[in-house]
Amino acid sequence: MPSSMELPSTPDELMERESTSTGWKELLRDQEKYKNIPLLNYTPMHKLKDETLVRFRGMVQDMIDPEMYLESYEVKAANGSTRMQQGKYRDCLRLHHGETVDYSAESNVHSTRRTLFVVSIPGLNEWVKEHEKQCNVEPHMDSSLTSGVARKRAADEGDNIEMDVDIPSEACKRQCTTQLKDVSSSGEQTAPVLSTEYFLNSPLPSRPSMACMVKIYEDFDAIPLNTIVDFVGFLSVNPALDATTLDVNNDIENMQELQALNPPPSIIPRLHAFGLRLLSHANPLLDLSLLQPTDIHLNIPPKSQETVHKEMRILFKLCLFDDDLAAEYLISHLISTVYSRAQMQSIGKFSLNICNLPTEGLQEYTIKLYKIMELLLPASHYIPMTLDTMNTSAFAPIKDYDTNKLVSGMLQLAPHTHLVLDETRMQPGKLESSGVLGMQHLSHLIKNQQLKCDFKFFHLDYNVDIPVMILSEGRSMLPCDFCLPVNADAKSVEMFEESFKAALHYLNPDRLLQFRNYLTQARISQFNVSDDHTTMIQEDFVEMRKSNAKSNADDLHGLLVLSRLLGIARGKADLDKETWQLATEFETKRRQRLQALPKSSAQTHT
Amino acid sequence: MARRDYAQDKESIKTFLSEFCQTDDDGKKNFVYGTQLVKLAHREQVLITIDLDHLAEFNESLAEAVIANCRRYATIFSDVIAELLPSYKQQEVHAKDSLDVYIEHRLMMDARTRNPLEQRDEHNSFPPELMKRFEVGFKPMSTEKAQSIREVKAQHIGKLVTVRGIVTRCTEVKPMMVVATYTCDRCGAETYQPVNSLTFTPVQECPSDDCRVNKAGGRLYLQTRGSKFVKFQELKMQEHSDQVPVGHIPRSMTVMCRGEVTRMAQPGDHVLVSGVFLPMVRTGFAQMIQGLLSETFLQAHRIICINKNDDLSDKESELTPEELEELAQDDFYERLATSLAPEIYGHLDVKKALLLLLVGGVDKRPDGMKIRGNINICLMGDPGVAKSQLLGYISRLALRSQYTTGRGSSGVGLTAAVMKDPLTGEMTLEGGALVLADQGVCCIDEFDKMADADRTAIHEVMEQQTISIAKAGIMTTLNARVSILAAANPAFGRYNPRRTVEQNIQLPAALLSRFDLLWLIQDKPDRDNDLRLAKHITYVHSHSKQPPSRIKALDMNLMRRYINLCKRKHPTIPDELTDYIVNAYVELRREARNQKDMTFTSARNLLGILRLSTALARLRLSDRVEKDDVAEALRLLEMSKDSLNQIHEHQKGHIPNTSDRIFAIVRELAGSGKAVKIADIMDRCTTKGFKPDQVDKCIDDYEELNVWQVNMGRTKITFM
Repeated sequence: MPSSMELPSTPDELMERESTSTGWKELLRDQEKYKNIPLLNYTPMHKLKDETLVRFRGMVQDMIDPEMYLESYEVKAANGSTRMQQGKYRDCLRLHHGETVDYSAESNVHSTRRTLFVVSIPGLNEWVKEHEKQCNVEPHMDSSLTSGVARKRAADEGDNIEMDVDIPSEACKRQCTTQLKDVSSSGEQTAPVLSTEYFLNSPLPSRPSMACMVKIYEDFDAIPLNTIVDFVGFLSVNPALDATTLDVNNDIENMQELQALNPPPSIIPRLHAFGLRLLSHANPLLDLSLLQPTDIHLNIPPKSQETVHKEMRILFKLCLFDDDLAAEYLISHLISTVYSRAQMQSIGKFSLNICNLPTEGLQEYTIKLYKIMELLLPASHYIPMTLDTMNTSAFAPIKDYDTNKLVSGMLQLAPHTHLVLDETRMQPGKLESSGVLGMQHLSHLIKNQQLKCDFKFFHLDYNVDIPVMILSEGRSMLPCDFCLPVNADAKSVEMFEESFKAALHYLNPDRLLQFRNYLTQARISQFNVSDDHTTMIQEDFVEMRKSNAKSNADDLHGLLVLSRLLGIARGKADLDKETWQLATEFETKRRQRLQALPKSSAQTHT
Repeated sequence: MARRDYAQDKESIKTFLSEFCQTDDDGKKNFVYGTQLVKLAHREQVLITIDLDHLAEFNESLAEAVIANCRRYATIFSDVIAELLPSYKQQEVHAKDSLDVYIEHRLMMDARTRNPLEQRDEHNSFPPELMKRFEVGFKPMSTEKAQSIREVKAQHIGKLVTVRGIVTRCTEVKPMMVVATYTCDRCGAETYQPVNSLTFTPVQECPSDDCRVNKAGGRLYLQTRGSKFVKFQELKMQEHSDQVPVGHIPRSMTVMCRGEVTRMAQPGDHVLVSGVFLPMVRTGFAQMIQGLLSETFLQAHRIICINKNDDLSDKESELTPEELEELAQDDFYERLATSLAPEIYGHLDVKKALLLLLVGGVDKRPDGMKIRGNINICLMGDPGVAKSQLLGYISRLALRSQYTTGRGSSGVGLTAAVMKDPLTGEMTLEGGALVLADQGVCCIDEFDKMADADRTAIHEVMEQQTISIAKAGIMTTLNARVSILAAANPAFGRYNPRRTVEQNIQLPAALLSRFDLLWLIQDKPDRDNDLRLAKHITYVHSHSKQPPSRIKALDMNLMRRYINLCKRKHPTIPDELTDYIVNAYVELRREARNQKDMTFTSARNLLGILRLSTALARLRLSDRVEKDDVAEALRLLEMSKDSLNQIHEHQKGHIPNTSDRIFAIVRELAGSGKAVKIADIMDRCTTKGFKPDQVDKCIDDYEELNVWQVNMGRTKITFM
């Protein structure tokens, strides 16, 4: 592969490549070239022209039906001469003055393409955004500044850029409202203009994500819903694509759908993708296409997994009232992933319920704990389970047949987005039917790691991988794999504010980096169980059943998952006897705490 | 493909329409299309449906051509019919609507004024669309398989395809203009404009000779009376949940219905639509934005609601010889059974019973007495023994099924509700879960939690297989030929081996006896079983897949089709087996008398044995029940009884201790209520001679068993 070859910069160039050579796609594997493509997520729209090469990282939120388009068509000029024009990787017809399209020409080629509705990863934490923003290469349009300077400036004015990202949506809101006025003042039938929020369709309305409609040209069924993908392609922001500016005297029935499928490109740009990469995680530190030239962490001598694990335990002990067991379970939870699905079971899930939290200062405590997690995880979300949140927010996606869109819900999250439910916020009161439904969705998610989408006439289950942690005073009302009461002594409860300060101090930039890498690496690492150990486990289970008839298959599942995670956390690739014994020991301890729980809670009540 | 000679096709279509006939049972020739043409000519029928099976019988290549280029042939057919019609007219037809009168007048006037030799302007002649008062539709060949929406691709354009899906939206039925008629305000000449697309540009200038020559500039005005309209409706259909690959969004498709195929379906209907797949010619703004895009739609020829049409033969269900071979292995019975909910480990006999429930026994005896063939099963057991998973799996596997929980549904929800139509004020019946699952399986979870009054509604269903309604002036009987699969938790949370079945489940004997098989799923430590379970789980964890058992699990779809195939068999019980069965039954009765077991052995058991054995014969795809079938049925019955009785072995010689006796008193006190005051208990118990500390101990013991809860002030207990 000649490295001198550059990525195509216009659709026409790409079409030519496609027809002449086959190996050009290799270019996309070249990390150097790849990372120099501007990220649409962080580049202000006004700096990008129509048909520039960009990339977009996001989660597939919805899939729109395939559409037929003219791959190449005949154009007739005014003087009668004809020429062929390519329609691939484009939205609009390419006509010079006085030219018309000959729709009935024999040489026209029809093809199909498919639109995916992609939103930037919901719940992406600030540090990830910051990092990605710094990696982003500004498009070299007008400025003669070297990219290095531009980047430095970008880093300095981080806040300003954040504003820039928001501007397009602001502008559009204005545009929409003015348009509304126009229509109503002219006395015509008012167009049912949909709101910007509806167009953007963010799974987490409190943390709006950016949306982009990506058109793909091959392998329509290769990308399942909710996967994270990095798309490369040509931007298309022609204002003619906006259906909201059309006057509406035709039938209203189709109008809403038409508007929903053709939103203003200033809010939702289109991207004609020719390359894509499925991402297994959202951590930019481990993504070669997002390396910063000045990346510091390459210089730090790598510490072994085990040392990092120890340091992390120190951190979480500080956050969890000096409870070592809780720290171990929390780390296991943070590195858990559904690694296999056997028919109806999803294996590897590790939903954690940390209960028995002390009542004093609870409000600040849960938020502080979440803040620490937020610093370590690429994507996470915190839901205070107040009656109001339960009753008013949408949890699972619902299909809107008026607009043919899958209206997103809070649980439509990318794989490995941690969900922290704060049950301590719940007050006695009335749960409306929507709240009950929300609870059902949550427990279905925890039990099966599946998201039930409402298609009105039927439900469809989508596999997800969202680790759930519940913080509660008593046992949680949601079913959890592991329920762990925290042992908090009075002294550490008093001290918790100081402990958090210490924890934040402990998290120096080096450690932060190590922890972030550690969590993601542990999550995607492999783990084996040898046959010898399998027989040992089997014997242990039989013994367990003998001594306690109540123990069942679920307990064995739990033990296996826990031992796996404990092993991985310590940097091991295989299960060994110590890890297994550690897991059984932990589970016994946890069970003892659980048995002690009801009586202790009864005492505090009386 | 060579270009077809349309003129020749036209001729053969003509012969087909006039000469195609079928011989019925009496040997009489039945001219299928001839008789319809007569009706068309008399305006008694509007839609003529051409069955492509008939056409293929007549001329196979022509039928193929019709499928490949459907729209063109639809026009050819309608032209031919228009030519043929006058000759089929046997009597004078009375005008039905204003358009008829209009056409009649024009024809008369035309005959009077026009010089037959004069060349006529094309625009002013009557377009054939105006004169045709019938519609042509095609019925696809019976070998044609229904496709899912995602399988319809660009290469299907112009072809006749059959698509299965669910209707998600339909518009109002609107009139659509087919022929626009204009009158000129100067010369009075009439102009016709056939409309083929969704929109049209009205003609402004009068094209008649008078106006053109005189340059009068006559304006044309649209005449609604003389224009022809058809009914028009747009449907949106979407893939059904079983057609969507895992992790994808269902696709949708637009269906255009014209004329007689409108108002055939409503949102929520599961439909089969046969029609021509066409690109849509949109004008105006849609074209402006999407110059590059063309939408597609299905021009419907035939719409069938599957949920309303039971005897629809679905061609997808046929099994291929390879599949049959795969199934015809020796261990197919075990194999099918283990393929039920393969993720649930063990419980082979329960799964066998569930398999028989899916297949069902034979409904009617040859002697005409109607006896239910559906098998009812009740699963009982401690919480957490995968009862609900089994139910969920069965309801997914069964072709028609309803899943409900006893707690969530009232008797009305299960049977049928009388509703008042908000528009017309009429009373209508809305079928409940049992009616909806007619000829299927109704899975009821938490059967024990159902209110007694609601449960009585099920008695009738379980034996008579009907539901009688007498509400709000409506008296009717609905069919509910369902198999009931119920799951019940023991009355006090856990199965108490010290009690009898009735006490544990708290269901009346009348209801329990209606279940052919009662199964207690228990979870007891047992070395061999535990080891196997542990092996299974560790394998799943370390290899990320199900262990390769001796028997490979069958695909759900294959199972479904096989079960469907089994249901078509109607095995009979040969005479020589009756003695065997009778003896077996007598033996059962005797045993029951001697052993005093907790289950019942009644005449219903005999019927149960017959049902199970016919189901087994069906499963073998046999027409005769054999001795082995009966033996297996007896074995299953035995096993189900064993599962209930083995507990009672522990019970033998057990003397109820004080706690148990106090518990009995508390139960009695509680009656049907859930809460009892502790003071009351104390009163009652002390009168019976128990000491207060014994009562306290009993309360604590049973609280630990999660039978009841004690409130904080320790004044009241509540049953769970």
